[in-house]
Amino acid sequence: MEIKVMKNILDRNQNKANEVRKILKEKNVKMINLISSPGAGKTTLLERICERLSGEFRVGVIEGDVTTDRDAQRLKRFEIPIVVINTEGGCHLDSHSIYKVLDCFNLDNLDVLFVENVGNLVCPTAFDLGESFRLAVVSVPEGDDKPAKYPMLFRQANVVVLNKTDLLHHTNFSLKNFTYDLRKINPSVPLFRISCTEGDGLEEFMNWLSKHLKP
Amino acid sequence: MHELGIAENLVSIVLEVAGNEKLTKVTKVNVSIGEMSQVVPDLLETAFQVTVAGTIAENAELEMEIVPVKLKCMDCDAEFEIHENIFVCENCGSQQVEIISGTEMFVKSIEGE
Repeated sequence: MEIKVMKNILDRNQNKANEVRKILKEKNVKMINLISSPGAGKTTLLERICERLSGEFRVGVIEGDVTTDRDAQRLKRFEIPIVVINTEGGCHLDSHSIYKVLDCFNLDNLDVLFVENVGNLVCPTAFDLGESFRLAVVSVPEGDDKPAKYPMLFRQANVVVLNKTDLLHHTNFSLKNFTYDLRKINPSVPLFRISCTEGDGLEEFMNWLSKHLKP
Repeated sequence: MHELGIAENLVSIVLEVAGNEKLTKVTKVNVSIGEMSQVVPDLLETAFQVTVAGTIAENAELEMEIVPVKLKCMDCDAEFEIHENIFVCENCGSQQVEIISGTEMFVKSIEGE
């Protein structure tokens, strides 16, 4: 016999994500899900964000890593609450892993929770964590074809950061092709071109971020 | 390689439904997979077979219907399928389009006895 089910396969994740979103909303905490490939500069971007915005906002970080706490070590100097989730091989974070570590934070003393997802352009996009918005980070050395190749990430992103623009002159990265492909997939998403090492474009991005992190 | 995580979620739904319906064996699982869900069907098949091993759904067939990406224009209400990733209304050129299908991952039904 055949039994009708009609159920979203990721229902469990979605339900937990909704729960996380509700908890954070009650506590007035914004959660930002950072997604990029390994080495695009998520942690460096977080360092720049902490430098510039930790006076304005009480920041916490969840570091998702397959193994090691190296990213968390880099952020230690900011003396902010950081929790590491080692996925032990898992290619993404899910809402259950976020829910489990929420207890580690005093949410009453927090304005913003950044989640550094596992470096991967595919898997994290399928799993809602309960975030307020998604920040996609892509970097110049990866090539200008990333929006065309990973449409789901760029379609869902609420903001896109192109990092390492200081390397533009050393690569064949075409800003024109990158922007054209991105606009086909997501015509209205804000795009910031930055260099975390040189500082280009950071002020404009931080202004946007600060505005969107306010309750 | 998030197919394993997806397969685990899928199988837990299958076993829950099968338990509620008092099935002793699941022979087939019918799912809808959106073309834009970034699931690789072959990998999901393998992950599914690994996950059902030792359960009442062992050796069940996984039937995947691949759903094309369909958009709806918020300005002119046109609905259309896209074959490239161009999120613009093919009727009026508006950029205000919503994805109405093609990103889903659904269990449609299960078969068993």
